[in-house]
Amino acid sequence: MATTLVLVTTSAGVADEVALQALALGRRLAAGGPVHALVIADEAAATGLGAWGATEVHLARHAELGSPAPDAVARILHDLALRLEAGIVVGPGTEAGNTILARAAARANLPFAANCVDVTIGDPLTVTRLRWGGSLLEEAAIHAGPAMLTVAPHVIAATPTGGVAAVAPFTPELDEADLAVRVVDRIAAAAGGVTLAEAKVVVSGGRGVGSADGFGPIEELAALLGAAVGCSRAVTISGWRSHTAQVGQTGTKIAPNLYIACGISGATQHMAGAKGAKKLLAVNKDAEAPIMSAADYAVIGDLHQVVPAISAEIRRVRGA
Amino acid sequence: MDAGAIVTVPLFILVLYVFLGAFLLRAAYLVRLVRAGRASNRTGDLPVRTAREVVGVLGQSKLFLRPIPGVMHLLLFWGFLVLLPTIAMSFLGAMNRHWTIPWLGEQGWFVLMVDLFAVGVLVGVAIAFTIRLGLRPVRFVGSYLQVAYNILLFEASITITLFLWHGSQVALGINEFPPEWAPVSNAVAGLLSSAPVPALEGFERGVVWVHALLILAFLVYIPYTKHLHTLVVWFNVFFERTRARGRLEPLVFDDPAVPEDQIRFGLATIADMTWKQMVDDMTCTECGRCQDACPAFFTGKNLSPKLVVMGLRDQLYREGHAMLAAAAGPAGPIFQGQPLVPTAVADDTVWDCVTCGACVRECPVGIEHIDHIVDLRRNLVMVDSRFPAEGATMLRDLERTSNPWGRSQTERTDWAAGLDLRVLEPGDPAPDVLFWVGCAPAFDERARIGAISTARLLKEAGVDFAILGPRESCTGDPARRMGDEYTFQSLARQNVETLGESKITKIVTTCPHCFNTIANEYPDFGGHYEVVHHTQLLAELVRDGRLAPAAGTDGVTYHDSCYLARHNDVRAEPRELVAAVGRPIEMARREERTFCCGAGGAHMWLEERGGQINEERAREATATGAGTLAVACPFCTVMLDDGVQGIGSGLVVKDVATLLVEAVDRGRALPEVRPDP
Amino acid sequence: MKVLVCIKSVPAVAGRITLTADARAIDTRHLGFAIGPHEECAVEQAVRIVEAGGGEAVVLTLGPAQALEQLRDALALGIARAIHLVTEGEEWDPESTTAAIVDAIRADEAASGPFDLILLGNEAGDSADYQVAVRLGRALGRPAVTAIKGMTIGEGTVRCEQEVDAGRDVYELRLPAIAAVLEGINLPRFPSVPGRLRAKNKPVEVSQPARPAQRLEMLRLVVPQLPAKQAEVLGRGPEAAPAVVAVLQELGVI
Repeated sequence: MATTLVLVTTSAGVADEVALQALALGRRLAAGGPVHALVIADEAAATGLGAWGATEVHLARHAELGSPAPDAVARILHDLALRLEAGIVVGPGTEAGNTILARAAARANLPFAANCVDVTIGDPLTVTRLRWGGSLLEEAAIHAGPAMLTVAPHVIAATPTGGVAAVAPFTPELDEADLAVRVVDRIAAAAGGVTLAEAKVVVSGGRGVGSADGFGPIEELAALLGAAVGCSRAVTISGWRSHTAQVGQTGTKIAPNLYIACGISGATQHMAGAKGAKKLLAVNKDAEAPIMSAADYAVIGDLHQVVPAISAEIRRVRGA
Repeated sequence: MDAGAIVTVPLFILVLYVFLGAFLLRAAYLVRLVRAGRASNRTGDLPVRTAREVVGVLGQSKLFLRPIPGVMHLLLFWGFLVLLPTIAMSFLGAMNRHWTIPWLGEQGWFVLMVDLFAVGVLVGVAIAFTIRLGLRPVRFVGSYLQVAYNILLFEASITITLFLWHGSQVALGINEFPPEWAPVSNAVAGLLSSAPVPALEGFERGVVWVHALLILAFLVYIPYTKHLHTLVVWFNVFFERTRARGRLEPLVFDDPAVPEDQIRFGLATIADMTWKQMVDDMTCTECGRCQDACPAFFTGKNLSPKLVVMGLRDQLYREGHAMLAAAAGPAGPIFQGQPLVPTAVADDTVWDCVTCGACVRECPVGIEHIDHIVDLRRNLVMVDSRFPAEGATMLRDLERTSNPWGRSQTERTDWAAGLDLRVLEPGDPAPDVLFWVGCAPAFDERARIGAISTARLLKEAGVDFAILGPRESCTGDPARRMGDEYTFQSLARQNVETLGESKITKIVTTCPHCFNTIANEYPDFGGHYEVVHHTQLLAELVRDGRLAPAAGTDGVTYHDSCYLARHNDVRAEPRELVAAVGRPIEMARREERTFCCGAGGAHMWLEERGGQINEERAREATATGAGTLAVACPFCTVMLDDGVQGIGSGLVVKDVATLLVEAVDRGRALPEVRPDP
Repeated sequence: MKVLVCIKSVPAVAGRITLTADARAIDTRHLGFAIGPHEECAVEQAVRIVEAGGGEAVVLTLGPAQALEQLRDALALGIARAIHLVTEGEEWDPESTTAAIVDAIRADEAASGPFDLILLGNEAGDSADYQVAVRLGRALGRPAVTAIKGMTIGEGTVRCEQEVDAGRDVYELRLPAIAAVLEGINLPRFPSVPGRLRAKNKPVEVSQPARPAQRLEMLRLVVPQLPAKQAEVLGRGPEAAPAVVAVLQELGVI
């Protein structure tokens, strides 16, 4: 039974979904022992964590924590881990979580395993982690303690426990060096549109779309479904869409209820970003394209004809 | 000797000096340009070259692809040849009315020929004007029409003044030739005979000078206009490629004798033109036959092979002086040539070309348009990195994964699942023939059916063959046609090494592009093999009785692939197979005049702007009334199937091998019924 | 400016991954090699910075002999010289990778001055450990940022932008600094052939670092067995539209 410390990242009063998944992993690894959660500044989010498996919530409050400062958070995490004599430190495998855990590990002179899908307590502790965006798994041993790791997104389910945890605010010690890397400005995003990472429905176009203008029908279908528009890497490299729309290992990783992939062959690079989708509908001319072995539904045909037909049928059914 | 001779002789010599001088100055410029051109290896094969001169130039063979213009040009061309001596005669006659070429000037047979061929010229000019002003064919759009009219007017006026001169000679009785042998001149003489003698004498002098001056003016006009072709076509046709038409000339990147800044990466400015490209451009007659045959132009794109050649020619002439001045010495000015793309040829025009070769085939004067376009692409891709973005993905995939779709090489045997084929591993003994599968059949579900059929037939016939599987890399054809010669050469060397290690001597392939590249282009990289197209091998097996297809009566129309029928002259064997399994129905645009499916020139990976080439061909095939469209190429299979679906016709597209294996299966099902041997 | 970009040569995995018999490496018999898309953008960024502001760009890799090919690819794009830390091809965990790179950086900085900026891809194409950049920062005592999508060099500073839900977060770091970039920060140029030919002659400094004991030790690799899915074909062409809409209704999407 090792003391487990989980970094729970939050935004505007709500804990991040992957952080709750990290909490679930932490709880599993604690095996009945205490599950400590660290929250930075966000009191509203901190109070709900007992319901998700935390037994004690440490809320760090400091004047300089108004804007993100990853080295500062790393120090707070490390100092807390030392204070609690934590045996395992877990974070969410998001960009934010990975960088904080990496910095904490660097500070602590410890190894760090990112994007783990499974952990086995032992001597040494072993993890199974993602390589190649999930197309390959690595079994690795961590030869030092405490074990620092992040959990791969959407692999372990966040589990509501209905419990309650006390929130213990504290003021961490921070100095100038910890705040050298901090956000000094924020540029607001262009208003409107669903973000790809959070969208519940995504409609993507791939090489088969043929041109930037060819995305018209895709955008139309997405608008009808309230979906976000995505694309494959072939599209971004050709300059037809911006990289913000790219779904894939080096783009955005999506987890919608439904992913409609049009003219996308299904290369591993792309599927690594789409494997979080619950259901996948492929529209493709080639019935043997790699994507077909990952799809739940398929329409064999030219997307330039099929997609507008689907949009038309939706309008007809809605009586519009 | 006339009293006036003391004036006319030196006067004429002065006139001759001036006009001839102007002609020679311009001719010297053009010769210096060509001598400054970069190298192009065009030696060897003397018998073939000579035969081509005789048949192609003297016999005007390609001109007869269009019968009426062919007749017109034959009249003008042979008229010009036969009338050549009359030029000297008229020059002599201008100096002294009694002078002519000794002996020839007195021959009746010669003056008869002159009269007849001169009438021929006038008929030719009349036909030409009728075509140009009456029919106004589309192929002349973009040509310099006024220049063409001027040339015709020169020809007509020179001929008419010749008749007037001969006629006035006869009327005056000063002709050296027997007039009864010159019916037309005689008739003209009859019209003039009523004039008073002094007037007639003055007229005769006047008209011979006008005639001579017209000739001299025409002479100077020649090197400044497309009429230059009359002098240059002899060279251009002689030096046309005699080795495989489908072979592109390789670039050399690692010649230690060539300093880095002198390496030729393609056509950036006129300073990069090879001498053959320059002569090509100078020979262009602006006839537009290439434009008419071009599938890109036909489907509404900007590409016109004629306009490409004219654009390059015009820029060559415009900047040639500056280029020669710079080449004169290291202390001289540096040549800042304008980039040919976009100055002479627009950016997207370069990419419209599918390298089908219809233009080269139609061209009566030996221009090789594909060389120009690919060389323009080579510079755009390898130096400027200025090309359609979707092509970048394909080129990167080729480099990294050795196939243009970025798929895993280990998947190259997936298509053969269940066929129990021998996959050649390093160290294995070489098979009799290596079945080179190609990337399309390996990775495309529609294209692979032809390969599966071929494999089954080869097994049935007991042919000892194997496939390379994951060791087969793309031949590099899409890279080379797109202009990435560097990636092509790296793939070519890789493949030649693999084939050499396995000691392969004979290769069969279903893909005409692989066929063309391995047979015609790999020898430049040390790869020498006997290469056959699958239709050739299968036809041989059927002839030998090793395959027994049942005859069929269903209508089948066969689409000739450009790389097979035009670039490589394989036309008969696929037809043998189609005839053996069905009822052949031919399309109008067939054999060497076949119409592309649209996939060539790396277009399988590039976006097509404007109308669809494949749909156009699908329309043509559907119009034959056949139920099946037979193809012999995996690209054609996919493109034409797309085309057929695009126009909504019910035509079924199948590889010839698939039709054959179905016929063999049918033949087996009726064991009592065997086709006649 | 003196800029360093660190890359890792990885197999150009396209479809199915096959492992060697001992399951400790990917079978690369029929694979080419490349660098990950994030790193391609890092190399492009380094070249652009030097093109705009003058100076020298250097590329470094820790990898086997064949990784030289990827160094030449980077040199072809405009990097001036390369540092090759040659290994036997075995795995080096992030800590030992960092240590080897730090030694090489210190040696190079002693010889020709400090690197104003060190760029990396956000994660390597294969192992994706997400930590070498921040470990370098710690070891060299320089500020490090990750997941960068936008970058502007200022006077002795660099402004880095990170994408977040609400827009972009901006960091401003004093140089010398370290940044790990994401694909999308720029569109990498296509290498020119003259560039490739010149790259063959650009200097590559070779050394052989000693491999320490691995604290994050790869035991073996496993290709995940995805459940074999049989896609339900709803139809062919536009006639499938009603069937599709029925599914959409069933899934509660409409």
